[in-house]
Order: sequence, then C-alpha cells, then structure tokens
Amino acid sequence: MRKYVPKDNVQGKSYYTDRFWVAPRVPRTEVEAEGHFAQVLTTLAKLAKEAYVELGQMVIHIDASQNFEVMKTLKEACGYTQCSEQSAVDYLAKDGEFELFYQLLNITEAKRVRVICRIKQNEAIESIEPLYKSANFAEREIFDMFGIKVNNHPFLKRILMPDDWEGHPLLKTYPMIGDEFASWYEVDKIFGKEYRDVIGPENRDQARIERYDTKRFSRVGYEVPFDADISAGETKTDIEYSETVLVDYTKNSGKQLDERR
Amino acid sequence: MAQHKVNYASSAGLPIVLTSADKLVNWGRSNSLWPLTYGLACCAIEMMASGASRYDFDRMGTIFRASPRQADVMILAGTLSKKHSEFARRLYDQMTEPKWVISMGSCANTGGMFNTYATVQGVDRIIPVDIYLPGCAPRPETLQYALMMLQKKIRRESANMNKNTKQNLRLV
Amino acid sequence: MQQPNKLTPFFENLNFERDDNTMVINFGPQHPSAHGQLRLVLELDGEQVVKAYPDIGYLHRGIEKMAENMTYNEFLPTTDRLDYIASTSNNYAYALAVEKLIGIEAPRRAQVIRTMLLELNRIISHLFFVATHALDVGAMSVFLYAFREREFAMDLMEDYCGARLTHSAVRIGGVPLDLPTGWLEAAATFCNKIDHEVVHTYGALLNENRIWKMRLEDVGVISAEDALSWGCTGPMLRGSGVNWDIRKEEPYELYPELDFDIPTSDRCDSYGRFMIYMEEMKQSTRIIRQLIPMYKKTEPQLMAHAPQYISAPKEEIMTQNYALMQHFVLVTQGMRPPKGEVYVPTESPKGELGFYIKSEGEPYAYRLKCRAPSFFHTGLLQELLVGTYIADVVTIIGTTNIVFGEVDR
Repeated sequence: MRKYVPKDNVQGKSYYTDRFWVAPRVPRTEVEAEGHFAQVLTTLAKLAKEAYVELGQMVIHIDASQNFEVMKTLKEACGYTQCSEQSAVDYLAKDGEFELFYQLLNITEAKRVRVICRIKQNEAIESIEPLYKSANFAEREIFDMFGIKVNNHPFLKRILMPDDWEGHPLLKTYPMIGDEFASWYEVDKIFGKEYRDVIGPENRDQARIERYDTKRFSRVGYEVPFDADISAGETKTDIEYSETVLVDYTKNSGKQLDERR
Repeated sequence: MAQHKVNYASSAGLPIVLTSADKLVNWGRSNSLWPLTYGLACCAIEMMASGASRYDFDRMGTIFRASPRQADVMILAGTLSKKHSEFARRLYDQMTEPKWVISMGSCANTGGMFNTYATVQGVDRIIPVDIYLPGCAPRPETLQYALMMLQKKIRRESANMNKNTKQNLRLV
Repeated sequence: MQQPNKLTPFFENLNFERDDNTMVINFGPQHPSAHGQLRLVLELDGEQVVKAYPDIGYLHRGIEKMAENMTYNEFLPTTDRLDYIASTSNNYAYALAVEKLIGIEAPRRAQVIRTMLLELNRIISHLFFVATHALDVGAMSVFLYAFREREFAMDLMEDYCGARLTHSAVRIGGVPLDLPTGWLEAAATFCNKIDHEVVHTYGALLNENRIWKMRLEDVGVISAEDALSWGCTGPMLRGSGVNWDIRKEEPYELYPELDFDIPTSDRCDSYGRFMIYMEEMKQSTRIIRQLIPMYKKTEPQLMAHAPQYISAPKEEIMTQNYALMQHFVLVTQGMRPPKGEVYVPTESPKGELGFYIKSEGEPYAYRLKCRAPSFFHTGLLQELLVGTYIADVVTIIGTTNIVFGEVDR
C-alpha cells in the first residue's frame, strides 16, 4: 500500500515528533496603559479587534474589509509613514484562510506595528497603494506567490514568475521542486513539447553520480575519447538505500529480548 | 607554432614560419577569447573580480564584451532561472560561430543548492556546454583555469567547425 | 552547426511604428549596467523617459520556499545568496531573527566578531557600489582601484571563514570560529588603508570631478516623503535628509556601545547618496578600530549556551554523552523554536534587511519572508526614471544600489 501523504501541505515536515511534545509560545504581553502603543490603540478605537505586544512590536488584528481605513488612520493620525513589508501566510489547510500582515514603521517614535488580517480563499483585499507606494510591488508579489487578488491595484500582474506561469508557488499545496508544468517549462518554451524526450526529465536526485559519463565530463589524469564506454563491463546499478530494521519490542517473541531475559 | 633556432634578423634570411592552417586559426581563436558578460548571480561578482585589478583577465587576451555579436565564449555565471532561460538561449543563438560555453558555478552546472521550481536544473538542458566549473562560487583562479582549459580544447579542434560536430556536442 | 528551436527572431527592442511618436526600448534582462538581471521597458519621447516599467523575477530562485522545507540551521547558508555582495549581513539578519524567536543572546566575543564582520561587509559592499557606479557612469579607473582594495577586504574574510563570497560566517547563537592570529592587526592595517584610499584615491578622483558632478548632481531626485512612501531605507532614505539608521535608532548587537556618526544629506540626488556611501566607509573603519580593543577583553566563549536549541562546542560533543545526544537530535531533527512570529530589522549595507519568521513550533519555519531593501528600491525606479534623460537611466539604477539576489529571492 502506498504511504498516505497529505495533499494540502506538501512542505517539509518533521519525521519524528515526540508524542508529548507541546510547543511553547513566544510570550505575548498586554499593551501597556501608557505610552505610544496605547495611544495608537485609542486612535484606532473599534477598528482593532485584538492587540498585544510580541517581542517588542505591537500586533493588531483587524477585519480584512477595513484594512484601508486602518492603514489610513495609522499613517495620518499615528505617524506610521512607512510600510516596510507586507505579505501573506497560507493557512488554507488548517483554517481555509490566508493571513495577511502589514509591517509598519514610525520613524519619529522608532516603533513598529504589525497589522494582521485574515481573508477566505477566494476573497480579495483592498489595495493600500494610494497610501504607501511600496505596496505597488509588494501586493503584486502577494498576487504572484499566493494568488490573492488585490482590488484597485494599478497594475496587478505577476512580478517574479513569468506571465505564462501556472500555479502560485508559495501555497502550501505547491511542492518545492515544482509541478509537471514547472519541470518542463523551459523545454516547452524554447524547443517545444516534442523535444521533451530528447532532453529528458530534470535530475532532482541530489545524490546521483554518473561515473561513466564521457559525454559531459572529462577524466582528470587520463583522457578518454568522446562518448567512449569506459564502464569495463560493469552493469548499471541503481542506488540502494539501506532500510531501517524495526524490531517490535512489545511482542514477547523477540529473540534478543528472550536472550536478555 | 613552429620553433626556429636560426636568427633570421642577423643572418639576413627570410622570416619564415611554418605551420598548418588549423594551428594558425586556432592560435588566433584561442588567444583572443572574448566572453559575453553574462553575469546572472553571485558568480558574476567573481567574474567581475577576475576581470578587475588583482586577477586581471586582460593578460589572457580576454576582454568582456557586452554584445553577443562580438563574443566567442559565453560564461554563464550564476543561477539560471526558468524565467530567464529563454533569453539565455536567445543570446546563445545570437552569438556567431564558432562559440563556446562555460558553465560557471554549481547553479549553472546542475541547479546546485537551488533544487526548486524556479531554477533550471543545469544549463546543459538548453545550451550545449563545453566546460563545467564547480564551486559555489568558484574563485577567480578557477575561472582563469577554466579559460585556459578551453584554450587547450580549442587548439585541439579542427579549424573547420563542421568537422567538430561530435566533439562540440550540439546536444539539441 | 546551429540547431533549430522554437525561438524566432524578434525586434522587441525597438518599436518605431507607433502613432504617438514614442519609442519603446527594452533594457535587459542581461545588460552590463543593469546590476544583474533587471529588465526595464522604457517608453521614450525623444530622449526623455515617459514611462518606465521594471520587470523583475529573472533571478527568482524560490528562497522563501526553501525556507519552508529546511530546518533553521540548514537554511542559513542559503541566506548568503540573497545579497551576495555582503553575505554576512544576511546571515546575521537571519540568525538574529531566529535568536530573538528562541530568546537567546550570543556571547560577548561572538558579538564583537559579528559586528566586525558586519562592518567589514559594509565596506566590501560600499566599495563595490563605488566601483560599479563609477563604471556605469564611465569612470573605469575607479573600478580598478576600488576592486583592488575590495580584494584586501575579501582576504580578511577569507582568513576568517575560508570563503570569498558566500561566507556563512555567522551561526544561530554565535559564530563558529574565533579570529585567527594576526587578523586584528591585518584588520587595523586595512582600516588605515581604506581611510587613506577613500580620501586620496576615490575621493580625489570623483568628489570634485567635473564630469562626475555633472552626471550625478540633480539626477534621481527623490523627496523625503516619497522615499518613505516607496519603502526606501538605508542610504536611499538618508540621502533624502531623513536621519534614520537602524543601528542607532533600534540598536542591536554592540552598536549602542560604539561611537559613530550617521551621515545624511539633504541634496536628495545621486551625488548626495554617493557622498553618504563614501562617508559610511570611514565610519565603518572607525567602528572596527573601536572593536579591536573590545575583542581583547572578552571571554573565549563563541556560541550561546542553550542546549535545547544549540549544539554544545565540538569538544564537549566528543567528550560528554549528553552533549552528543543533544547534538544528534539537533542535527537529525532540527531545533524547534516556540510558536510565534518575529520581525527583526537590521541595517544591511543596502538598507533595512529584515526577516519575518512565522513559527508553528515545528523544526521547519511555517513562513519566512525576507524584507529586502533592494526589492523596494527597484519598485521606486518606475517613478524615479520618468522625466529623466536616457543617459541618466544607468546613473539612477547605479545609485539605487540594487542586488538581484535580494530583489527576486
């Protein structure tokens, strides 16, 4: 039987996790009653759903439909003149949602605020490009990497991947080495689909060694003619990986255990 | 080149050099290899360094050219992404024959550490490569060594490029 | 013989047949003065740029995707390839973000070494900037002089970590190696050399050079408000008169103890930025000089003591059973930082380099976002280039000091 692999998250996973492992959490503290962050919260009033301080920066959770309003308030009333970064996190597998964050900077107070909102899979978000021009590129990147549509963006187009690319690479469902389309992209584009057989599939095995390839590699120390067979009759062997032998110690029939008893 | 022990200048004889056409042509080709500045990523910095003060590529007759029409050798220095692959092939097509390709760095050779969706897993999937240069990033000395190896290779070839089809391995 | 392929010749570079009498020029993606793989589509009216459209992504390698598939320590060498001109600053920014997440601090000696390497990398990067910027504008000799000194800086890096370009000289929790003997003296000599060269070679060749000034003055003017809005940081922001340096304002590492100045310029143009770069090199040597006596007063510990996250020193691993077990678990499974998210900004030579890490308590980061300064500086080009002459385009690209490993990631 084939091993079950979850399809909704194909990223790296720990091969072993202790049964009783409970991940701790980075301490979150309440926003102090006095100070800059408290002022920001009072200015935002009802726009902020939840707020706390995590590792020195205030995190504000807001409603996704109000993102433009919140940003406008933060920029104009609280002095957050720079949007350092904005991007998304894919929580589709867990919650069916994307988490978007905006990292803002106030240079007069030297304070940073992170605004977080969540949207459903096929929802769009309002562009903050009229407020922060840096959002022009950043929102295009979000669209490219996650497929999140941004309303009222002046030029919403793929930015990092080519225009004719299929799929959004930073989704958790997208494997790191790419899908079928990605693996043949350059061959299809340059030579056409009929050359797939000539060129062959990509080599994704990082441990592959071609000892007898005289087409591409020369020999150090002694020269061999081009494309000569230097295997000296040795047949090709596939790499064999050693298998871990698991002993079930719970059964009483274990030979080693019997001996020990 | 043929070597002569007679000093023609002093004995007033004719200055004659005997050689074959192949050798003469290859002498010219191998000693004025003009690479295309094809810096893609990190290796491009090392390529620049090998052209700059300490390593000084000019002493090998190597002058970087910005146009593919003037270049003999393409040094693919760095990661070739899938988005860029089309342009790499296009520039290779624009170079005039005879032309050679040096793939510089692990990324260009095999994709290197970038085993991802966006990276071409070895430029030899789209361009025939003459010299593979290992390292991440290879030192300027390595690039100079590779260029000397390429010169060696050129000197071994026939001046008539049509005869070299098998030697040059035009893969696709 | 040339083998046929699907690519047909096309003339996208020039497009004359337009009704509005403008010309569309394609610049790149492979252009010697594009600083990498920048493709610019410029719409020209005569010699003036009417519209500029930067097309990036030609060096997209999926580094953020790799971060989701690698353990925290595995990913560290990949950060070298972001801003490959100053690798250590990326290593450091990443290591600092993870350290903040797991709540540890590097020992004093590691901090001294890190700060030294960071400043050395700043000098390497700034020398590279001066060299290539001058080359773009047409001053060939400055390129050769600046690369000469850059090689000495690379020698210092090589003495420390063995690599010229991709250093990986910082680890999560400290640094892997102590400084080799004679390194401090060599660094001091190098500082003297740089101080001399900045004033007497590059300064003498460029600062008051008439052609240089004509090419740079009032080119690429950007107001402070625009610079903030476009997300400019580093010299791009300081060149517009905003005194903002993360080393001073949100200090990390040993910077609060050090005495240095932040050069700013309110000229808002390329020349002002160039002068900032020149001045910053001098400040960096000043910092390294202050660090040399500090190094001598430190204890020899190099990695923080946090058995849950960081392997013990090699000697302990070889002699003590528990250290070996911890090391085995950390290597095979990777460290598991607590759940949470962190954004740590640092001042890289190009600007604000920050890592946003979202951890779900797994040995793999759930999401890692690299906030690269060059990405936003490239976005700025679409506004900055409009209205300038085509001869100034390379000057403006040069002055933004973008590196494509960082832009496309």
